[in-house]
Amino acid sequence: MAGESLQADVSDGSRGVDGSDAATAVDALPADPDEAALYVDGLAKTFGSGDEAVEAVQDVSFAVEPGEVVGLLGPNGAGKTTTIKSVLGLVLPDEGDVRVHGIDIYERPRAAYEHVDAMLEGARNDYWRLTVRENLRYFAAIRGQDPDTLTDRHDELLEQFDLADFADTAVRDLSRGMKQKVSLASVLGGNVSVAFLDEPTLGLDVESSLKLRRELRRLVDERGLTLVVSSHDMEVIEDVCDRVIIMNDGRVIVDDTVESLLAGFETAGYRFTVRGADDAVLDDLRERFDLTGVESLDGRTRFEVAADSATFYRLTDTMERHGLDVDGVETVQPDLAEAFVEMTGGSVGEANPKAASGGGEDR
Amino acid sequence: MTAAEPTDGSAGRSGAGVAPDADGAPESGRTAGYRHLLKAVVYRDLLVWVRYPVDAAFGLVMGVFFFGLMFYGGQMVAGQAITDSIEGLIVGYFLWTLSLGAYAGIMNDVQSEASWGTLERHYMTPFGFGPVVLAKSVAIVFRTFCTSAVVLAVMLLMTGRTLDLPVLTVIVVGLLAIAGALGLGLAMGGLGVLYKRISNVANFLQFGFIGLISAPSFDIWWTKFLPLAQGSAMLQRAMTEGVRLWEFEPTAIAILVGTAVLYLGLGYLAFARATKRARRLGVLGDY
Repeated sequence: MAGESLQADVSDGSRGVDGSDAATAVDALPADPDEAALYVDGLAKTFGSGDEAVEAVQDVSFAVEPGEVVGLLGPNGAGKTTTIKSVLGLVLPDEGDVRVHGIDIYERPRAAYEHVDAMLEGARNDYWRLTVRENLRYFAAIRGQDPDTLTDRHDELLEQFDLADFADTAVRDLSRGMKQKVSLASVLGGNVSVAFLDEPTLGLDVESSLKLRRELRRLVDERGLTLVVSSHDMEVIEDVCDRVIIMNDGRVIVDDTVESLLAGFETAGYRFTVRGADDAVLDDLRERFDLTGVESLDGRTRFEVAADSATFYRLTDTMERHGLDVDGVETVQPDLAEAFVEMTGGSVGEANPKAASGGGEDR
Repeated sequence: MTAAEPTDGSAGRSGAGVAPDADGAPESGRTAGYRHLLKAVVYRDLLVWVRYPVDAAFGLVMGVFFFGLMFYGGQMVAGQAITDSIEGLIVGYFLWTLSLGAYAGIMNDVQSEASWGTLERHYMTPFGFGPVVLAKSVAIVFRTFCTSAVVLAVMLLMTGRTLDLPVLTVIVVGLLAIAGALGLGLAMGGLGVLYKRISNVANFLQFGFIGLISAPSFDIWWTKFLPLAQGSAMLQRAMTEGVRLWEFEPTAIAILVGTAVLYLGLGYLAFARATKRARRLGVLGDY
């Protein structure tokens, strides 16, 4: 399918920030690093040494503009967590330059941390014995914000995340999904301009996840917040993110807008429903075209085929020669999850034991 | 705008559209300084302490229980001898609970933060990790003084004795005395972040405090330079003989201050090196 052509582009030179140039990617780094809310250049990290060395991250570069939301995707062990923690200075990389609003996070961490915070551990990111409001106030204070001046802001966040009725409840008495929302609120309650969110919807039911995605998007649009979101939930990526960075084996393999990424797949495949196709005809079609998902339904046959426009017309000509009646043709529009799987050659949550063995990666 | 220059300006709103500062970055609008940090950390420490009521009560009860065991058990075994030296025992036990509270408090706090997933959030503060850890140390020492004061009061009631309690002298000498234990706790906390399970070593070390507190610093001069030893000797004199801070020899105070700074500094250095190595290994937030 189109995934094959995209993957081929990527592997033989899709542009990423690793120096290649593919049609699917956008410019990753701005000319002036100070323009970006977040600028990452040449990040590399190897855990261990000798035969046991694991290259967790290799030559990762990207930039995020102020107010932009970037999704970071990749199977487990792809290097997402190491990248995020290296960007935040929580892991010391072997190489690389990271700047938050032009401030070098390794040279001037205190100044950089005035602008950036992260929700890294999901629900395990707060004090469960403290109440929701006490958590918000505490984390605001250690971020250099007088909590007394943020009461309105905290009230607003509690409303947005449906936590207002639980403001004085100890976090340990809340459900996992609500704990997740407390973590998120405590990060956003510290008045940061750049936030990293690791699996923000993990543990949330469908309705809560939908509402959270809307609120995140609203916060971005209203407050100009810059977000980097790591998630296995493709709906989060599609609903919230402007751009997607896909990592695999420690490298950035795709850096593109969500729209472009999906467009690359949109017209790549077709689903036909035909009448009169016997086994011989189907065998002939299989020999000539890349048929998948063949199934018979009440005298009709349905199948999918990967095809560009030229192939599409060749296929319809062939079917006409075989005397098939075409009941219907649909364009197959894979979602981001499908695109992701095609590009990484694995499943959304597929583990990579080699990378996962290094430095607590995706533990 | 750097972390060393917290502003007192309005909170403002971070993000795009906010006027950039000298770095070209949006203004962070910091409204809190080190005072707010200290207040928040102390308050959080006390809240967490009281929200584990069984653990808090058990700590106090066990503190009194072990003293009772020593006092009544000692009376049965040694009779009058234990009664004659009871003031020294009370002061020594008081200092032991203080030093143990400081040592175990900061060590456990660092390890708990790692297991709760909050350690990394403390790393990412505009105040810097060092000031945050020092604020935590202050919070733990404050709480330890409160709990040890309760244990001291119960010990005095139990034994029917009285001690001199020159508050300023006891607090200053006590603080400087336990600085070494705090340094050791920081070092062990750092090792805990790095190696995760160090409870065997950590538990063993706390018994070493008994030896340090009872070190014969009047007879063997170099023992003065060990952690806790000089402070213990001075606290004994303050609480049993009523010696005030300004009545100590300048050399004694210099040794007390010097050892406090040295061992606290070494402990902090070890903690900083351990956390840096943990960052290099990617295990800072692991548990």
